[in-house]
Amino acid sequence: MKSKRKQITLIYIVISLFMAILCHKFLVYYALKTELFYYSFVKDIFFILFTGVIFNYILSKNESRNVSILKKMQFTNEEIKESNEKYDIVSKATSDTIWDWRIQEDYITWNRGIENVFGYKQQDVGMTSKWWFDKIHPEDSIRMSVKLYSFIEQKTEKWQDQYRFRCADGTYKYVLDRGFLLKDENGKAVRMIGAIQDISKQKAEEQRLKLLETVITQSKDSILITEANSIDGKIPRIVYVNPAFSKMSGYESDEILGQSPNVFKGPNSDSEALKKVLKAIREEKECLIETISYSKDKKEYWVRFSMIPIFNSEGVLSHWISIQQDITEEKKLETEKEHLIRELTQNNKDLKQFSYITSHNLRAPLSNLMGLLNLIEDISIENPELEEILSGFYKSTNLLNETINDLVKVIIIKDNPSIQKEMVTLSEVFENVFGQLSFQIEIHKPIIKLKLDKVPLLNTNKAYIESILLNLLTNSIKYKSENRKLKISITAEQIDQRVFLTFTDNGIGIDLERNADKVFGLYQRFHNYPDSKGLGLYLVKSQVETMGGTISVESEVNKGTSFIITFKN
Amino acid sequence: MLEQILCIDDDPITLMLSKKVIARSGFSDEIITAQNGEEALSYFNTLKYSKEQPVKKPQLIFLDLNMPVMGGWEFLDHFTLSDYDEFNSINVIVLSSTINPEDLAKAKKYPIILDFLSKPITLQMIEYLKNKIEL
Repeated sequence: MKSKRKQITLIYIVISLFMAILCHKFLVYYALKTELFYYSFVKDIFFILFTGVIFNYILSKNESRNVSILKKMQFTNEEIKESNEKYDIVSKATSDTIWDWRIQEDYITWNRGIENVFGYKQQDVGMTSKWWFDKIHPEDSIRMSVKLYSFIEQKTEKWQDQYRFRCADGTYKYVLDRGFLLKDENGKAVRMIGAIQDISKQKAEEQRLKLLETVITQSKDSILITEANSIDGKIPRIVYVNPAFSKMSGYESDEILGQSPNVFKGPNSDSEALKKVLKAIREEKECLIETISYSKDKKEYWVRFSMIPIFNSEGVLSHWISIQQDITEEKKLETEKEHLIRELTQNNKDLKQFSYITSHNLRAPLSNLMGLLNLIEDISIENPELEEILSGFYKSTNLLNETINDLVKVIIIKDNPSIQKEMVTLSEVFENVFGQLSFQIEIHKPIIKLKLDKVPLLNTNKAYIESILLNLLTNSIKYKSENRKLKISITAEQIDQRVFLTFTDNGIGIDLERNADKVFGLYQRFHNYPDSKGLGLYLVKSQVETMGGTISVESEVNKGTSFIITFKN
Repeated sequence: MLEQILCIDDDPITLMLSKKVIARSGFSDEIITAQNGEEALSYFNTLKYSKEQPVKKPQLIFLDLNMPVMGGWEFLDHFTLSDYDEFNSINVIVLSSTINPEDLAKAKKYPIILDFLSKPITLQMIEYLKNKIEL
């Protein structure tokens, strides 16, 4: 640089000198007076040399200024380079997607986030703002662009917005986009740089929390949240109540926050229940009580009130959640139900007494008749007509006696809902029953198949099971078919906790299509047999049910009948 | 054979029947009757304060439960008190038409009750009782 400056100075001097010499020669040749020309020439040479020195000085000043400017520029350049490098590093390191929009040219560049986060390959990414706006969810697009352009117009420095941005695979991601404007010297927006943050997870969580929150806000049960610890021996202070609570208690949220739920207590509240709550609070255990509570206008209502301790991740109690239900109606129904049960029990008791008295009063004169007829038996009667009359008398009285005894049996079975059970051996039961029927078995000689080995023992009432089997066997014999030999098969099976007793015969059967609902009814007869009273199956069913079992029937006319009895064993 | 039996029942036919059956079976020499518990108690009172001691007293009582004025249970409650100490070695047979299981359960609480039988009284019943009291 220095040499250049000197060079310029030298050229100036040489050219000036050349010009001076040329002028001098010219003047010497053409002018008349030449004596002063040499002075003038010398003066020119001095002048030239002097201006050359000054010129050189000015140049050197200028040069040093230029050098400092250059240095400054170099420094700035370094800074810009460094800052650019930083920007590159940050844009690579951040999970945000960074965009840079030159507004006038409508030219946008994106960092790698557009691929990493949204899946767009570099070659698929458009260079205009249209490409960007096209990717915004239609529902968000208008709102977002209105906001964005009004921001650019107003030229405030910062902008942020949330919208859904479409990924390469067509799905949408919730994003938070934040940007700032770069302005030129006239304050005109020229460039905008922004960062898009994927907030899908936060948004999903937010929506999940919102949904969960609706459980509390929409719940029909009252929910309140209290602090962890009580300061004055009361229930800890309320920090939140839901709308259902306000509806139930009449207290608005702001009226009740900071108070203890003790304010719901009143003269008829159950103080024992309250003590239970306070104990549970001391022990940090959950509890459930029912008590009368008082609303803001001192109205009583029954409430089912639970306190559940909430612990933080360190296992330290942080809050209590209390769920309350208005059970006034339930309590009312309960009281009504109790009243009804009491009434029914009393009625039932009265009816039972009535049936005992009635049967006693029927039986008393009947037993006299029986006794008197027994006495007549030993007296010889001469008159044949009287003998016939007395015989009719005897038969009718016996029939009446049997009927009344049967009815008495029914009354007694019905009155014994919890009869005593014992372990009985089924084969023994059958032996007893066959023993009682030995006379009829001897006459009809039925083929009886017994398969009881799967259930050797049955927990039941011995008298009842004998009576049941006796009735069924008697029926089979009574209603056997005249055309074939009577076959009876009895099997016992156990499935889980249940015993199935199946009793099948090949008798005349019952027409179930017509009589299905009458088979086990009282005084229902399906065959006009003289000694059939329509009581046996009624008794069987009563006895089975008294022992907690069930009985069902399958039958086909002229094929046979099956009874299936189920007991819990 | 017993010397004396007391039948307590409000029904005259039952009493007549009892008399006849007992007579026929030769169970007892004498049969006396009372229409209810109170009448029976007053009979025992007369026996207790009778001048001719020792008196003949019943060896067995047939007792009905449902009777007007004083029923069987009330009679037993009085009869088992110390007032009737000298009589309460007498066996009582409840003879009733009741089917109320409560009565049966109650009968078990009175040691004085030897048996609880259902009406009517029959010759077989007497035979059974004869065996029971080992006559």
